[in-house]
Amino acid sequence: MDIKILGSGCTRCQRLEQLTREVALELGVDAQFEHVYDMAQIMKYPVLSTPALVVEGEVKVAGRMPSKQELALWLGKP
Amino acid sequence: MELLYASLQSGLASLASYLAAHVLLCLVPAFFIAGALSALVPQQSIVRFLGPDAPKWVAYPAAAGAGSLLAVCSCTVQPLFAGVYGRGAGLGPAITFLFFAPAGNILALSYTGVALGADFAIARVVLSLAFGIGIGMIMALLFHNSDTARLASGAIFAGGEGITRRTVTFLIALIALLIAGTLKVDFLTARLVSFDVALPGATAAQTLLDRLVPVDTIKGEEGLSVQGVVLIVMLALIGATALRGLGKVDEGFNRLTTLTLGLIAATLIFAALGVQATVGGLNLVVTGRSIAVVALLALLVPLARRFDAWDLQQWLWETWRFVRMIFPLLIAGVFIVGVIRLFIRPEWIQAIAGANTVTANLAGVVFGIFMYFPTLVEVPIAKMFLSLGMHPGPLIAYLMADPELSLQSILITSAIIGKLKAWTYVGLVALFATTSGLAYGAWVDGAPIAAIAAAIAAFVFAVVAALYFVDKYRSPASA
Repeated sequence: MDIKILGSGCTRCQRLEQLTREVALELGVDAQFEHVYDMAQIMKYPVLSTPALVVEGEVKVAGRMPSKQELALWLGKP
Repeated sequence: MELLYASLQSGLASLASYLAAHVLLCLVPAFFIAGALSALVPQQSIVRFLGPDAPKWVAYPAAAGAGSLLAVCSCTVQPLFAGVYGRGAGLGPAITFLFFAPAGNILALSYTGVALGADFAIARVVLSLAFGIGIGMIMALLFHNSDTARLASGAIFAGGEGITRRTVTFLIALIALLIAGTLKVDFLTARLVSFDVALPGATAAQTLLDRLVPVDTIKGEEGLSVQGVVLIVMLALIGATALRGLGKVDEGFNRLTTLTLGLIAATLIFAALGVQATVGGLNLVVTGRSIAVVALLALLVPLARRFDAWDLQQWLWETWRFVRMIFPLLIAGVFIVGVIRLFIRPEWIQAIAGANTVTANLAGVVFGIFMYFPTLVEVPIAKMFLSLGMHPGPLIAYLMADPELSLQSILITSAIIGKLKAWTYVGLVALFATTSGLAYGAWVDGAPIAAIAAAIAAFVFAVVAALYFVDKYRSPASA
């Protein structure tokens, strides 16, 4: 599973990455993580605010911190 | 050696009276409000008014609203600015957002109000709102040729969640707490009950404090009371418990969370009491303010319980994050201001900016542009200038220019909109900051408001007309 975290390097963005990694580990999902810091790259996604989470090319959340339950729903195997 | 001691003492004294006087009833609630805005208000609720199809009369106020409600954190400013410019309402509202955010957010506003006075806070908001929108419109007019080439896709602005009613009620209660703690009106300062507590040594302690931190009304030094010392100790305790109590709250509420919140509530209530050292004890006065603070704190508990645990955790975590990000810088800033203050002669300030002249206002602006201070530190610096005899006009000019034109904001702007536009923006801000200083100074000096309004209108008209002609001559060449 391809997971991207879009963030400008702020604390919240680091926290989102940490949280997502935890959930992925708990679910035993095989995932590649990438943290995108570059603003120009970030603006290619339809987001207006960071932190944002992109799973398999689809923006799941932007501008707020999702709960672990939400994350588990998005990372859960189809 | 003596000089070193004197500067250290001046720095610590300024820090002590700052912590005791300003922080608690103003900054503590303000940090909680900032945390709530960041954690509980979905950005889509405001951002949706900034899409490419938004009419101008909606987009500009919405941009200002976004600046004051969403932009407490720098991780919001940059993407939002880029998004509004690149895919949304365009250059004008994006500039308005960028201009208004540093002056219009809740932390800057409440802190200015408490440290410098409500009139400065109001002047700051009104002037930066008016000129933020004004500069945005001028930029849009000036660059309207290049501004139309952008890609229009409204999808990311559409829909989304609105602000729920419980969030609104919660925010209103928090803001009421902030206002009840700081506003100086008869209703709140009225003495209701007063009683004495026997505490031998209180007088001696106050005498000692007065010697360590002298009260100097001419220099604007406030001294330190017994109450202040207690508050500083409580603040340190809160800091110690919050490290785990709030810092780890996103992993679940722990026992320290409850302790931290209890301590904060107790501190706010104690700070709202009137405490005076008397012979052989302390005189405690319950004022309208004390009652209001207690009532509002009690009201906040059921209001907070209406949220999900996760939302509350996010709220507390965000609040603590703001404290950790801003507070150390403020402490350092206030200390350094206290040290520097010793070396600046009031005559220098009065010679440069003692009266409301064009040069004085320009000096304020130039100082604001070249000196970069972290968030909110501009306020204690402004306070120092004020107590050293700076005229309120140039002071407002400085307050307008300093946060708007930091190195950071110039870099962000030029990376996103290009160098030419960025430097035009800088020039316009300098021009408008000088004007606002002159206008506010004239108002303080007693000039009739109609005359000032007319002068500003004439000035804005002249600027717009000049820009219109520049644009007219330029467009055939560029088109």
